[in-house]
Amino acid sequence: MEQEKELTGQESLELISRMISKAKRDYYDTGLSSLLWGSTITFCSLIAFVNYYLKWSVFDYVWFLTFVAVIIQGMISAREKKLRRRKGHDEDLMSGIWISFAIAMFLVSWVLSWFNLPFLTSIYMIIYGIPTFTTGYARRFRPMLIGGIACWVFSMLAIFTPFPYVMLYMAASAQLAWFIPGLILRKRYLKANKENV
Amino acid sequence: MFKDLNPILHSQLRLAIVSILISVQEAEFTYLREKTEATAGNLSVQINKLKEAGYIDVAKAFKDNYPQTVCKITPLGVQAFEEYVKDLQSYLNIKK
Repeated sequence: MEQEKELTGQESLELISRMISKAKRDYYDTGLSSLLWGSTITFCSLIAFVNYYLKWSVFDYVWFLTFVAVIIQGMISAREKKLRRRKGHDEDLMSGIWISFAIAMFLVSWVLSWFNLPFLTSIYMIIYGIPTFTTGYARRFRPMLIGGIACWVFSMLAIFTPFPYVMLYMAASAQLAWFIPGLILRKRYLKANKENV
Repeated sequence: MFKDLNPILHSQLRLAIVSILISVQEAEFTYLREKTEATAGNLSVQINKLKEAGYIDVAKAFKDNYPQTVCKITPLGVQAFEEYVKDLQSYLNIKK
């Protein structure tokens, strides 16, 4: 691009619009975080469901896998930060929302572990819906918007559903909120990378 | 013809840089070079001009032992860009 070229008014506007569109179109979520959490929560929920019948003591600790997922998430975030060459206006906001979600989940799990509450799964799914819906709404990404709403619908249904069947709602929430949107994001990301090569 | 338009922004490459930076929070030098398709030398000169005008902030650091230059638009840069677009629009309206 030559900086010396004299621009007409029309050319200036076209250049502005082309560059803004290039920069905006350039944002692609890798989808890895969504896939990680979608798979982890689905796996843990299904194991908890199956273990209701199997009663294998080792599976009682299946939810500890979420701590492993936190470590993997840290590695994914660090790698994405390293590869990132531009930072969008909403990226800090989105990170803040998901970090506060993780802290809220940890605190809610810890606080509620002191009480024997019957609707624990409902509470979790209500919280799952908040960052998912917010991300879908802010980024105009319909699959996550639907996923967030699905979490809230399942949270209401869970009140009328006994254990272990609520675990199936939890698995469905994880699929709709994270795994399926993650697959869509991943496909977009890989396609964009292929086009840029 | 374009007497009223800001001369700092009324240049193809500088306008391209500012247009990208207005769309993101910050961008690396390599990213700007890729999007504007400019040479490193040319881009560097224009970035310096924008920096001297106070329109962008330039932070230099090291990433994996390689120098990294990160550019970010300043509030003055945003204001200048908005005024430039407004001037451009009024010019085009007059022309119509």
